[in-house]
Amino acid sequence: MAESELILSDWCPGCGDFGILRAEESLLKELGTPLQNTVVVTGIGCSGKIGQFMNSPLSTVHTLHGRALAFATGIKVANPKLEVIVNMGDGDGLGIGAGHFVNAGRRNLDLAVILHDNGVYGLTKGQAAPTLKLNEKVKSMPRPNINGEVNPIMLALASGFTFVARAYSYDVNGTKEMIKAAIQHKGTAFVDVLQACPTYNDINTKEWYEKRIYKMTDIDPVVKDPSEVHQKIANAVLKAGEWEDKIPLGIFYKNETISNYGDRLSANIPNYMSYPPAEQQIERNGIPSTLIEKLVAPRRILME
Amino acid sequence: MVRISWVIGGPQGSGVDTSANLFGDAIAKAGYYIFGNREYYSNIKGKHSYFTLTISDVPTASISDDIDILSTFEAETIFQHFRQLKGVLLYDKNIEGAKLSNMMFMEHEVRHNISQVLSSHGLEESISGVLSYLKNNGITVIPIDFDSTLTKIMNEVNQSSTVVGKAKNVIAVAASYGLLGLDKKFLIAAVSSIFKKEEYRKINSLAVDYGMAQVQPKHDLKALPMNGSRLRVDGNYMSALGKIFGGLRMQTYYPITPASDESEFIESHQMLDLENEKEELKKAGAVVLQMEDEIAAVNTAIAAALTGARTATATSGPGFSLMCEGIGWAGMNEVPIVITYYMRGGPSTGLPTRSAQTDLKFALNAGHGEFPKIVIASGDHTEVFRDAFWALNLAEKYQTPVIHLIEKTLANSYTTIDEGPFNYNALRISRGKIVKASESYRRFELSDDGISPRAFLGSGPGKIIHEGDEHNEYGHIAEEVNIRFNMYEKRMKKLETAAKEMSERDCINTYGNMDSDTVIVTWGSSKLPVIDALEMLKADGIDIGVIQIRVFSPFPKSAISRLLANKQTIIAVESNYTAQAGQIITENTGIMPTHCILKWNGRMITREEIYKSIRRIKSGASKRIALNGGV
Repeated sequence: MAESELILSDWCPGCGDFGILRAEESLLKELGTPLQNTVVVTGIGCSGKIGQFMNSPLSTVHTLHGRALAFATGIKVANPKLEVIVNMGDGDGLGIGAGHFVNAGRRNLDLAVILHDNGVYGLTKGQAAPTLKLNEKVKSMPRPNINGEVNPIMLALASGFTFVARAYSYDVNGTKEMIKAAIQHKGTAFVDVLQACPTYNDINTKEWYEKRIYKMTDIDPVVKDPSEVHQKIANAVLKAGEWEDKIPLGIFYKNETISNYGDRLSANIPNYMSYPPAEQQIERNGIPSTLIEKLVAPRRILME
Repeated sequence: MVRISWVIGGPQGSGVDTSANLFGDAIAKAGYYIFGNREYYSNIKGKHSYFTLTISDVPTASISDDIDILSTFEAETIFQHFRQLKGVLLYDKNIEGAKLSNMMFMEHEVRHNISQVLSSHGLEESISGVLSYLKNNGITVIPIDFDSTLTKIMNEVNQSSTVVGKAKNVIAVAASYGLLGLDKKFLIAAVSSIFKKEEYRKINSLAVDYGMAQVQPKHDLKALPMNGSRLRVDGNYMSALGKIFGGLRMQTYYPITPASDESEFIESHQMLDLENEKEELKKAGAVVLQMEDEIAAVNTAIAAALTGARTATATSGPGFSLMCEGIGWAGMNEVPIVITYYMRGGPSTGLPTRSAQTDLKFALNAGHGEFPKIVIASGDHTEVFRDAFWALNLAEKYQTPVIHLIEKTLANSYTTIDEGPFNYNALRISRGKIVKASESYRRFELSDDGISPRAFLGSGPGKIIHEGDEHNEYGHIAEEVNIRFNMYEKRMKKLETAAKEMSERDCINTYGNMDSDTVIVTWGSSKLPVIDALEMLKADGIDIGVIQIRVFSPFPKSAISRLLANKQTIIAVESNYTAQAGQIITENTGIMPTHCILKWNGRMITREEIYKSIRRIKSGASKRIALNGGV
């Protein structure tokens, strides 16, 4: 790799993003998917730079604020052979990009969606982001938060995500395992990665989290039959409500009994997976390969 | 020359479109050219919609202010259109008593205007009043007995009134058709093409017999020989077809009038036949995604293009407003993406179902920051097809967003074209510089023409980096002054490369007498009435030239400068308030149009409006003529 390609990260010392970066780069090596077929799609904010800081020979797409999921959808649908991993911040994904988040759940495309969840807009200097609680005031906010918070786990469940989990970024191994499970899941998988912002979030600090987090062992999140969906979602919602004293980590919900988007597209286009839009030959020596006579014939004026 | 103007109207959802299709189909089968313009409210059922059709023995693509035949079975259409009538009214004899005040879907302002006309003539505000008005003006009014005709058919086929009732439209069509003098067989053939079930063919063939029997021919049209085959096409279809033929493999959209029909057509026909030796590759699917909003639509399409699929989105003004940020990302990342922009009346929701050319400058300036954008505008149905195809080539050759402007007028109107000159098999695909990502791949490698070799995601072992921040040749974020300077210039240079590679023929069409000292400059569907008005003007000894601009970015500066040099009178004809194309000409050439003819009420410009306006300009009456015709 040329020296001009090597990029050192410019996150603040102690940033929670480092853990996610380390987790993703090491698990991608373990997964065995050829890196040239791996695409990391990111939004805007501190989290959005994660692709820029990856030195593995995978491809990265640093998109627009809130739009990472829209871009990821385009890449994955046009070429389902690519492994697509989405990284976005809580402001990015649940504020400006909330519409795409909800609608991604409806599609159940085979994507892993990693939320860098630190409660603040770090790159614009610490305004309240969607997961910051009502009435909380982190240090650079002029006044306490007058907006309520979004619960990312509950929102993902309500939107139809078929894999919903939570990790904690200073626990790199745990984060790695959760993201790996998300990538291996068939369908849209969501991992809410709790992380500190040592520069702007002086409430949800490393110490604060580490007093509260624990690994869930008391629910079985896996749907084995569609008849279990209601109960499993209800269990997950109850766990997702825990926050003040103890914060659960692990898989809240996993359901592979629902068709994913690739299956749904294949129902209309039988060779979609083997001959997707990205791979179709559209011309030979400039001559269009598509035969349109079938579409033209009905418009021909005929005396029958 | 034959030019007959036919209008059918009725409440939205009552089958006006089917009737117009049937009538147009029959006329086309008889060897005539047709052009039909569709007008409708943003409403599903009830409000007034109508179709204006021009019948001609030569290729035609304009409509008239006047109506030779108005056909309807309901009262509102008569109230709305009687002032345009010059020929014959065909109406339902049972509605003579209908009162203007009872037209529940009619807007107050429309009612008020009609009321004033009738009362100023001392006439009752009812259909009887209108009939008196028409008779006083020498218009023929022919009552049609729809109800007893339907009863007669019901008895003959032994079917319920719900089944037979739908034939009411066909009776109206048949009565109009009977006025033309054409052989019945063409209309019967059209009925057979449209109605596939034997039962409906029977009912509607009877409707043709009984409808035609209620009138005597007023015109003396003879079937014309067709040399070569013809197609009947609308703008949405032509855009979809051009894209499919051009290799489009993914289209995204969010529902919006008048763009969605294009995406729905592609989705309906998504399994495509391909020329390929391998059996398993003879069929392939184009994916159409209905997204959650236009922001998602444009960004999903842009991202899909990174994989090598030819992709596009189609929208209208409100959707395009939301797409601007994404278009900027595509500009920064040099992504080939086509945005088909169906213009309708704005701002805001504006006139969602009416036409406009008000977004030319918006398209040219879409997105913050400076980046190359190619903007092309189609002026007729054939151009819509060719431009849709061409846009995909341009996007890939210059690796930048291409905006293809079409107006609602073209989207929703239909016409007949000769298949010979259409000749789509002559078109060629060119995909520009494509490589596989090698280990030393640089997505944004500097080059003399500004175009870098493009590698698709997954194409090789090299890292491919896309980055919305300013970046170096690899795609890494970089703010160093020289990188900014060079990367900015590289992107902008692509537009100069495109300008060099486009021929004058690609960018401009000219019509009429270009040696005249008077020339019209126009674009988009505004050229259609202009071309048909040229003949009318010529008959009066006014023989002028027309320039139609088809490419606005890169602007064909030298060609336009040369064509406009030394012209005494330059008249901009556009469907907007501010003569946007005129301004762009001035910005690029320093030459200002001397006059303008503008229309912004959402209705298509008619050939008479152009004819009369040019006459007024020639007599020195006015510098700026604002048109306000139509219903």
